[in-house]
Amino acid sequence: MGTRVAAETARPPLWRDVRVLRVLGQAVFVVLVVFALREAGQTLTGNLDRQNQDIGFGFLDARAGFGINEGIAYSPNETFLKAFFVGLVNTLRIAGAGIVVATILGIVMGVARLSSNWLVRTLARVYVEAIRNTPVLVQIVFWWLAIFLKFGPPAEGGVGLGPFAILSSRTINFAWPRFGDGALLFWIVTAVGLAVAAVVWRSRTRRWQETGEPHHRLPIALGIVLVFAVVGQFVAGSPVSLETPDITGRDIEGGVQLTPAFAAILVGLIVYTSAFIAEIVRGSILAVDKGQKEAAQAIGLSRTQQLRDVVLPQAMRIAIPPMNSQYLNLTKNTSLAIAVGFPDMMSVSRTIMNQTAKATEMLLLVMATYLILSLFISSVMNLANRRLALRGAR
Amino acid sequence: METRLPDEIEVAIKEQDARPPEQRLTPAEWVRENLFSSPFNSVLTILVGALAVWLVFALAKWVFVSADWRVVQVNLRVYMLGRFPIEKAWAIWASLWFVLGLAGLSWGVSGRRLRWTPGRIARRLVLTGVFVYVLVYLLEGLGVWIRIGISLAILAAAVAVGRAGGRHLRLPLVAGWALAFPVVIILIRLVAGVPPGRWEGFFLNVMLGVIAIFLSFPIGVLLALGRRSTLPVVSKFSVLAIEVIRGVPLVTLLIFGVFVLPFLLPSGVVLPTIMRAAVMMTIFSSAYVAEIVRGGLQGVAEGQYEASRALGLSTTRTMALVALPQALRNTIPAMIGHFISMFKDTSLIAAIGLADLLRAAQRAPRLEFSGDIRESLVAAAIIFWAVAFSMSRWSQRLERRLGVGER
Repeated sequence: MGTRVAAETARPPLWRDVRVLRVLGQAVFVVLVVFALREAGQTLTGNLDRQNQDIGFGFLDARAGFGINEGIAYSPNETFLKAFFVGLVNTLRIAGAGIVVATILGIVMGVARLSSNWLVRTLARVYVEAIRNTPVLVQIVFWWLAIFLKFGPPAEGGVGLGPFAILSSRTINFAWPRFGDGALLFWIVTAVGLAVAAVVWRSRTRRWQETGEPHHRLPIALGIVLVFAVVGQFVAGSPVSLETPDITGRDIEGGVQLTPAFAAILVGLIVYTSAFIAEIVRGSILAVDKGQKEAAQAIGLSRTQQLRDVVLPQAMRIAIPPMNSQYLNLTKNTSLAIAVGFPDMMSVSRTIMNQTAKATEMLLLVMATYLILSLFISSVMNLANRRLALRGAR
Repeated sequence: METRLPDEIEVAIKEQDARPPEQRLTPAEWVRENLFSSPFNSVLTILVGALAVWLVFALAKWVFVSADWRVVQVNLRVYMLGRFPIEKAWAIWASLWFVLGLAGLSWGVSGRRLRWTPGRIARRLVLTGVFVYVLVYLLEGLGVWIRIGISLAILAAAVAVGRAGGRHLRLPLVAGWALAFPVVIILIRLVAGVPPGRWEGFFLNVMLGVIAIFLSFPIGVLLALGRRSTLPVVSKFSVLAIEVIRGVPLVTLLIFGVFVLPFLLPSGVVLPTIMRAAVMMTIFSSAYVAEIVRGGLQGVAEGQYEASRALGLSTTRTMALVALPQALRNTIPAMIGHFISMFKDTSLIAAIGLADLLRAAQRAPRLEFSGDIRESLVAAAIIFWAVAFSMSRWSQRLERRLGVGER
């Protein structure tokens, strides 16, 4: 008996020692991965060699030579790198606008799904179920080919929405404010208004915290800014005017101008993502502990106050992580622009690939950029998460 | 891409969706309660009601009056099969029957019967009516109807056999489902001899979705185990692989598959574009499967690991015999959700020029019959939607039955 105990407490042989096995296992793993990567790298360079190509990013400085019909100023004489950058800016435009509008629409739909009104509830449900279960690319192509390209050419009048917008298969123009001479004075007066509003906001908040009087800070602050803006407009001699779109022969001019492809990818992504956000909003509101609402009711808060001051802040805390993944999805889905010919980062990169045969390099660049974008969005959302998180243990 | 919500949200949603019907109200009471409970609600009802009436009316007018559905009628085969050789279509029907037989058996064995409440009867009648009406309108030729008849007969027979066989059929059924994928592939690729280059239309969407899920499952499980490994090198590598793939759009990976993947293969090996797409979709899917499985593993109670250790099981056995079976059971709903989103994502192959349903619908109006793109795209959208929607309903029901997330 004694000898067996001694044998068990002694160190096991090397091939059964967990510490040794762990190191050995990891070493084998590293060797395998390195070997696989080296093999892949050699095959790649070997295959490229056979086609007289090499790996390198030098080509980015060469003249691009192709046009991009949308986005920041750019001419075909500029470099591939600049062309890529134009695409990146286009991607950011869709992602930024998409995230903002999809969030608003999603919140409206999510709250509508919880409405006590059967009609509102049911319509919101039909919207969510129809949109969520249809592929996003089908929707984008539908918006593009079946809606935006069906408005007809400007020469035939397109589809007008009063003075506010003209929709045509060539461009879609919205009325937009224009800032003329004296706009500086207008901005200064409005900025003063903003400052005054901020001061009033803080004093109202303090009063509310001390006495419990209703603060009405939002309408009051908005009213102050509006009054100052109107005064500014008057004093500076009406520098701000509304620029309305107008048909001039074969084109539409004036206002903000979108192409059908841009509108299709933007509207498609907004609608698709909003259906998912609606479910997040609905679920997050439902997930707030029932006791919270009952407690708010018990201390005599009104229905609006219950929702605004008790339930929604807590729901937001629950909603942030899944919202983050929706924002990431939307950003990644901007790459679907390639299917409608909108020059986003992915489709400009594909054009560059076709011209230079530098597919490996371009895809590395594209993937790295998407990863950085994802990291950026995630870190912003993490920041929001930390600010909203409960202090201390939960 | 990720569509599943965090558990606390899923549970809250399920609770609301499954809320028992309120006590019976008379129609007048119901209307007052649900439409005119307050002045604000009344105004809302009138405004939204007007909008709804207008929407329904405009839609109905388009569907039944202005739209010309002949483009769908003429191109139905293009949507479904593309240029798949028609004389080999029997292989697809045979595969369908095989799967239908398995599904019927499973249904029979599970012992659940349809429940017939008046509301359900009405809904099923309407649904069947619409379905039959659409089919009668779209399908021409006796052959198709005979095959549909055979399908229904097989389904009914399988349900009956499943009921009679009961528990004895469990094991053969599991084997049958495990074999279904290879059997279908062999039937179509080898017996009928249709190369993947000719797989097109909706059939291609379904096949790519199934291939990606089937192949990504083992890789995903390995990645999940790797991520939870106590060996730092292995877990770091798994995390890196998972996060890089999840941080990149599928379109980018598909284009990688088209332009770069051929250079990564030894010279002389040529993969058809469809297979390259399948490889990239598998890689894409693996990362998401890994995260689902990891979630399942996290849900396995610590006591299970401790108990298994106390029984003297090795780490490997603990994983294979104790942790994974429980984890995988918990992930079934999330897996179905992932499958639905993969299935929807198969439409992205249209972006690399493969002739799937979306691309077929885009081209159909320009083919034999010059129809309108609107009807064509709506038809494609409805096909995708019907499959995705019914799968998600089925998954909800399955989830309720498994009671996942309720403990």
